[in-house]
Amino acid sequence: MKVSRRSFLKLCGATGAASLIGPPANAGAAADADESVAMLFDTTKCVGCRACEAACSEANRLPPPALAGEEAVFDHHRTTDSHTYSVVNRYPARAQDAPVFVKSQCMHCVEPACASACPVQAMEKTREGPVIYHADRCIGCRYCMVACPFGIPKFEYDKALPYIRKCIFCIDRLRAGQMPACAQVCPSGALTFGKRKKLLEAAKTRIYQHPDDYVHHVYGENEVGGTGWLYISKASFEELGFPANLGNRSYPELTWPYLAAEPLVLVLGAPLLMGLHAFTKGREKAEKSDATDGKEIDHATDG
Amino acid sequence: MQLMAETAAPRFWIQDKLLMGFTPGEYLRSLLTPFNAVAGVILLVGLPVIAYRYLYGLGAATNLSQTNPWGLWIGFDVLCGVALAAGGYTLASTVYLFGLKQYYPVVRAAVLTGFLGYFFVVVGLLVDLGRPWRLPYPVIYSYGFTSVMFLVAWCVLLYFTVLFLEFSPAVFEWLGWKNVRRRAVKLTIGATVLGVVLSTSHQSALGALFLIAPRKLHPLWYSPLIPVYFFISSIAAGLTMVIVESMLSHKIFHDETHPQRAVDLDGITLGLGKAASVVLFTYFFLKLLGLAEEGHWDLLNTAMGSWYLVELIGFVLAPCFVLAFAVRAQNANWVRAGAVLTVIGIIVNRLNVAVVAFNWNVPDRYFPSAMEVITTVTIVTLGILTFRWIVNRMPILHEDPQYGTEH
Amino acid sequence: MMPNDIFAMYAAKVADYLVAVAFLLLFIPFWRFVNVPSAAGEIALAPVRRLLDQFAGWFVLPEHAYFHPGHGWARFDDGQFVTVGMDDFAQKLVGDLSAVSLPAPGSRVEQGERGWSLTTPEAKSIDMLSPVEGTVVAVNERVVASPEVVRSDPYGDGWLFKVRATRPRANQNQLLSGTLAKRWMEEATDAIQRMISPELGRVLQDGGMPVHGIARSLDAEKWDELCRRFFLTEVRHARGETF
Repeated sequence: MKVSRRSFLKLCGATGAASLIGPPANAGAAADADESVAMLFDTTKCVGCRACEAACSEANRLPPPALAGEEAVFDHHRTTDSHTYSVVNRYPARAQDAPVFVKSQCMHCVEPACASACPVQAMEKTREGPVIYHADRCIGCRYCMVACPFGIPKFEYDKALPYIRKCIFCIDRLRAGQMPACAQVCPSGALTFGKRKKLLEAAKTRIYQHPDDYVHHVYGENEVGGTGWLYISKASFEELGFPANLGNRSYPELTWPYLAAEPLVLVLGAPLLMGLHAFTKGREKAEKSDATDGKEIDHATDG
Repeated sequence: MQLMAETAAPRFWIQDKLLMGFTPGEYLRSLLTPFNAVAGVILLVGLPVIAYRYLYGLGAATNLSQTNPWGLWIGFDVLCGVALAAGGYTLASTVYLFGLKQYYPVVRAAVLTGFLGYFFVVVGLLVDLGRPWRLPYPVIYSYGFTSVMFLVAWCVLLYFTVLFLEFSPAVFEWLGWKNVRRRAVKLTIGATVLGVVLSTSHQSALGALFLIAPRKLHPLWYSPLIPVYFFISSIAAGLTMVIVESMLSHKIFHDETHPQRAVDLDGITLGLGKAASVVLFTYFFLKLLGLAEEGHWDLLNTAMGSWYLVELIGFVLAPCFVLAFAVRAQNANWVRAGAVLTVIGIIVNRLNVAVVAFNWNVPDRYFPSAMEVITTVTIVTLGILTFRWIVNRMPILHEDPQYGTEH
Repeated sequence: MMPNDIFAMYAAKVADYLVAVAFLLLFIPFWRFVNVPSAAGEIALAPVRRLLDQFAGWFVLPEHAYFHPGHGWARFDDGQFVTVGMDDFAQKLVGDLSAVSLPAPGSRVEQGERGWSLTTPEAKSIDMLSPVEGTVVAVNERVVASPEVVRSDPYGDGWLFKVRATRPRANQNQLLSGTLAKRWMEEATDAIQRMISPELGRVLQDGGMPVHGIARSLDAEKWDELCRRFFLTEVRHARGETF
C-alpha cells in the first residue's frame, strides 16, 4: 500500500499532537521519557547471529546461551528465563523470502507496571531510563510477574534462595559511560542505542523514507504508556509475537484511582464510624432512661 | 489446705491454665480422640512437606511457573483466608458501633476467628514468598508507595495489631491480670473503628491487586470495581463465617458455651443471616453494574461465561435467596445451610479471580500440586488446633465468672 | 478497559442506569421480605417489654448467694459447709410442686451434675444441677414434707440441703454473683420475654402474673422441656443432639 508523503506527515503530526493530549501527570513523565536512554530494534536488519545473546550472558555473568551457533535453536520459540535475559526468535515471514528475527528482553517501560507493583521497590525505574532490580530488597512475592504485560520478570524457582531475574539494560556499563553489551556487538545495525526522543525520530524517519519496507507503526511508542525498547518491522507486530491491544494507558494508571481513594477512606472512615457509635449509644441511653423512668433499679442485688 | 494448693504457683499454674486442670498424664490421655488422630496424620505428612518446600525451593514443591506466578497459596490461603476472617470486623462493628448487644455472645469467637485467620494468612505468605524472612521489608526496609501490595502489607500489619488488642481482654481474663484487662477493654471502641477502617482498606486492596493485570484476568471478572466487590463480599463472608463457626463451636465445644446460648444462638443466626442476605443482594447488583459498565454481555455465551454465571447465580444469588427465605420462615437451620453456600461462594470467587479466570487464555494452565494442597490443609489444621486450644482455656464462648461484663 | 468509542460508552451508561434503577426498585421489597416476621414481633412486644423492664426486680437475687447457671444457688457458710437451694427464677418458672426429691445424706454430689429433682402435680419430673461438689451432710426435712416452702421462701426456709464441699474456693470461682448474676438474671428475663405470645403479653399488662408457673403459660404442652432447658438438664435424644 502506497502512502503519500502528505498523509504520512499528517499521521506524524496527528500522532505527535495526540501524544501531548493526556492527563497532566503525563507531561512530566513524557519529558523524562524523551531524555531517557532507549534502544531501537529494526527487525528488517537482524540476521539472527545471536551475538547479542552471547554478549549479554557475558556482561551479566550468566551461563552461555543455549545451542550457541546452531540453527536448531530457532526451531522452538524461546522465552527469557531466570538465566537468560535476552533471546532471539525466528518468525516465518508472510510474503517474504527471508524469515524475520526478533530480539526479546525487558521493554524498560516509561511507566513500568513492575516498578509500580513492587511493594519494596526492588524494581526501580531509574532517572536514566532503565528499569533495574535490587536483589537486596526483593522478598520474592512475584507480584511484578503478575503485573508485567510482557511476562518478562523470571523467578528462580529452582533455587531455595531465589531472586527475580531480567535484563537491566546494563545499567553499570551505562553509568561507566559505555553502551549496553548487546548494542555494542550487534554487527548488522539492528540495534541502535540512544535517547528515546532521538530514536523515535530516527525510527519515524526510516519509515518515512522507506514506506514500503515497514509497517507504519513504532511498537513501544505508546503501548502501555510507552516503552524504552522501540521496534520497527515490515511484518505486522502480531505475527511477530508482540502482545496486541495493550492500549496506550500505562498499567500504573489503572491502580491510581484506587490508591488515590484509599487515604480518603482512612481519613473519613474514623469520624463517620465514631459518629455512628455516638448515635447508637445516645439512642440506647434514651431508651434505657425511658424504661426506668422514676424507678430505681434494685441495687440490693449488687454484690 | 486450699490456699496452699493455690500458692504452689508455677506447677499449679501450668496445670490449671495450660492443662485445663488435668495432670500431665491425664492430659495426654485426653488427647486420644479421632479428630486428634486425623490432625496428627495431617501434621505428620504436612510438616515434612513444608520443610521440603524450604529446602528445595518453590519449583520443587509447587506447580507454579513463569507464566503462573501465583497459585493455590495466594488464591486460597491468602485471599480466602482474609475474606473469611472478616467476621472480626463485621461482628465488632455490629456489637460496638451499631450497638446491637444481642450479638455479644459471638463477638469474641468472631474476633478470635479473625485473629487466627490473619495469623494463618501470614503463615501462608511465609510459605509462598521466595524470601519469607524478608516479609517485614515493606514495613521496615524499603517502601513501594505506589504498590497496592505495599498497602496490603501495612494494613494487614496494623489490623493484626488491632485484632490482638480486641482479643486481649480474653487473654488477660485467662491470665487473671485484672488491671491490664481493664485498660485493654477501654481501647475496644477505638480498636473497632480502626479495625473497620483498616479492613475496608485491605479487603478492597486484595482485589485492587488485580487491577494491574487487565489482560490476564478474564474480562468478565476484570473491572475497576474489583476493590468494591472484594470489600462488599467480605462483609457477607464475615457474617456467614460467624454463623458457620458458631454452629460448629456450639456442637463441638458445648461444655464451654455460655449457658444462655442454647436459647440465643438461633436468634443470633437469624439476625446475621438477614444481614448477609441483604449484603449478597446488593453485591449481586454491584456485579451486574460492573457487567453493564464493561459491556461484555457477548462473553456470557462462552465456557468461561457459563462459569461466571455459575458463580454469580449459583453462589451469590442462590445463597441470597436461601438466606432470605430462611429468615422469613424463621428457620435457623436453613440459614446455616445458606451460610455454608455463601462461604463456598466466596471461596469460589477468590479462586476464580486468582487462578481460574486469571491467565484463562494461556496454554499452560495452572493446577495445584499435591504438595501445595497438603500444605494448605496443614495450615488450616494448625489454625483449627490453635482455635481449639484457645477456646478450651480462655473465656471465648462463655464469660469468665470473675469479671463483670463491661460491654 | 474503558470503551473508547462514544457509542459503546453510551450503551454502557444506559445499561448502568438500568441496573441501578432496577436495584433501587427491587431493594425495598427485598428488605421488607426479610424483615416481616420480626417487624410484627417487635411491635407486639414493645409495650410488653417496657412492662417487663419494670419487673427487673421480678426475680429476687439476695446478696451472699452464688448462682449456678442451672438456677441452683449456694451459700458458703463457715469452713467447708455450703447450703444449697434453687433460686427464685426456678420456682417461679416451674410453679406448683408436689414433691422435691433430695439426695440422701452421705451421698456425693458433683458441680454441674444432677443434684435433685422436682415433681409436679402432673407427675412430670424435672432435674436440677448441683452448684457445688461434696458430700451431703443434711437435708431440709421441711421441704420434703411440704414443698410449697421452696416457693414461698426459696433462699431462707426453702433451702434444700447442706454439703461438705471438697473444693469450695474452686466451686465458688465457677459460680455467678453480684453484678454478673444480676446481668445473667436479666438475660434469662430477656429470653422469657422473647417467648411471650401477644395474649400472654396482654395478661401481664393487666397486672396478673402466672401463679401456677410461668413455663406453663409460655408453652402449654412442653413446659417441662422448657424448664429443663433453663435448668440445663435437657434429656439428649438418642438420635443425636438438637442444634
